Amino acid sequence: MPTIVDIAVNNEGFSTLVAAVQAAGLVEALQSPGPFTVFAPNDAAFAKLPAGTVQTLVQNPPQLARILKFHVVAGKYTQDQLIALGTVDSLEGAPIPIDGPFDSDGSDGEGSFEVKNATVLAADIEADNGIIHVIDTVILMG
Amino acid sequence: MPTLTQPTTLIPPSTHPHADIIHRLEAGGSMLPDTPENLMQIIGIYKAYAVPMDFYWRDLLYIAERVFLNPVPAFKYFLPQEYLDLPNHYAGDTADLRIWRGEATAHPELLEFMEKGELKRKLPKLFHHLWHDRVNMEFAEACMQAMLWHQDMGGRFNDYLYTEEYKAACDRAIRAYFKGNPVMLGLHKLFPEMFYEKCRELSYYSNLGLFWEVMAPVFFEMSDIYDEGGFVGVPDAMNFLVNGIFAVAGRPIYHHVYIGDECFELIPKSCGFTWLYEAALPYVEAVFYRTAPFRGTKSYNAQAGQVPEDQNEFHYGILYADVFPVGSAGIPPTLLMQDMLHFLPQYLLDDYNKHCRGEDDMLIQLGVTFQRSMYNVTSAVIQALRAALHYPLDDQNPRHLATNRQFFEAQLDRFVRPEARLKDVQHQEYR
Repeated sequence: MPTIVDIAVNNEGFSTLVAAVQAAGLVEALQSPGPFTVFAPNDAAFAKLPAGTVQTLVQNPPQLARILKFHVVAGKYTQDQLIALGTVDSLEGAPIPIDGPFDSDGSDGEGSFEVKNATVLAADIEADNGIIHVIDTVILMG
Repeated sequence: MPTLTQPTTLIPPSTHPHADIIHRLEAGGSMLPDTPENLMQIIGIYKAYAVPMDFYWRDLLYIAERVFLNPVPAFKYFLPQEYLDLPNHYAGDTADLRIWRGEATAHPELLEFMEKGELKRKLPKLFHHLWHDRVNMEFAEACMQAMLWHQDMGGRFNDYLYTEEYKAACDRAIRAYFKGNPVMLGLHKLFPEMFYEKCRELSYYSNLGLFWEVMAPVFFEMSDIYDEGGFVGVPDAMNFLVNGIFAVAGRPIYHHVYIGDECFELIPKSCGFTWLYEAALPYVEAVFYRTAPFRGTKSYNAQAGQVPEDQNEFHYGILYADVFPVGSAGIPPTLLMQDMLHFLPQYLLDDYNKHCRGEDDMLIQLGVTFQRSMYNVTSAVIQALRAALHYPLDDQNPRHLATNRQFFEAQLDRFVRPEARLKDVQHQEYR
């Protein structure tokens, strides 16, 4: 089975995330056995950030790594497990609240779930060293 | 108002005491009403603030990096050429991210003032200093002290100052700085916490210097955009700040000390500390909201509960200040007002001359303008946090809008107390 990094590299729509992971020097870590749960913002999520935000982060790998680590959790958690937990601790150290599931109109239901202020677009993508949930917004600590 | 979006009808109106302002924030506005006079006032004062700030950040870094533990730092306000030429990372051709289209070195108006002062005469530097005809660096130090004293305001910066890693780095720098000085090294051995604590203070000098290095070009650029006719209203000015906050959010906050040719990294960049979390947010909390009562302005009886027991409840910052008594000589806000007075654009001078007592109470008038402008900066911080942690203003999901509402109401809860000036800045006659 491919690793988390392989999946991101081989699927369209994650080029910013892949470039960021490379700039932050986290490729090796995300190819290690883990396992990890990764909340992966797609290219559209990064594009929503105001101009200059990504540029400043890419210029400063330790700061970029910190923001990226907020998108990673130690352990392999599926959608159902995450919803049951309600909150998980990121590798950055700050907690990530989980909410849901919701229907597509945003009301309580059986569809997608939310990771902080991001909505999950695709859940439970299995990798050799963990699991990926694709999100529509870059999440930030606080 | 052209720059605001239509308020939402997806959730019922707020019942908060500041409901009208909350609805304005939800429509993409600022806590400061969108009037041409407010826009003129805040941009004018941003420019007047940016010039001394260009001195503050350079000198804060100079003290943190070079003066360091000098036991008699009599010349710490005498900036060497090297620091006047220090290229700002957010201005000029060499910028990491060019925010101001101007130069990276010290601002020409600042250099002129440093040379001639209020006296408009070229006299020896020492004379200008002793006559107090200079930039009031004491204001910058008061802001730094507010951050040092309030300490625990989010972010990881303060926690790091108490780690073994930090102490070991300080220890190396202290030994190098006092090499061949048995008295100071003996003191360090006898009272090890003393110099560590001094280093912590110096780390806050660096923190604030790196914070203001960003704000000075932001304010210069806003002034230039306004002069070119670029801002339609107050929300435009606020949004420029919001975008600026995001753009530099990841800027590293660190503390490097230079002793001879050697660099000692007390707080290395690799700690991952960022401008937003470790500098901007603690700064806003410590300086805009909390600070401490200024000596010589008003007496408080702590036993009678006139000063909050909980530091989180302190409310002596610019958002609460009664500008008139705070305008007494020698206290930090007055020092800043005096600094800004030297660099006011002509349109603001003309405006002040038309109101109140004209030139006679200009310090108070510009203090009130400064208060207005800081309500706008705080609005930008609130909108940036809303965007970073919550949802877009045009989100169509009522649950998300309710979360935004809750966030805005929680923020404005801090302005319900009677000392808050939020209600005052809604009226133009408050001067």
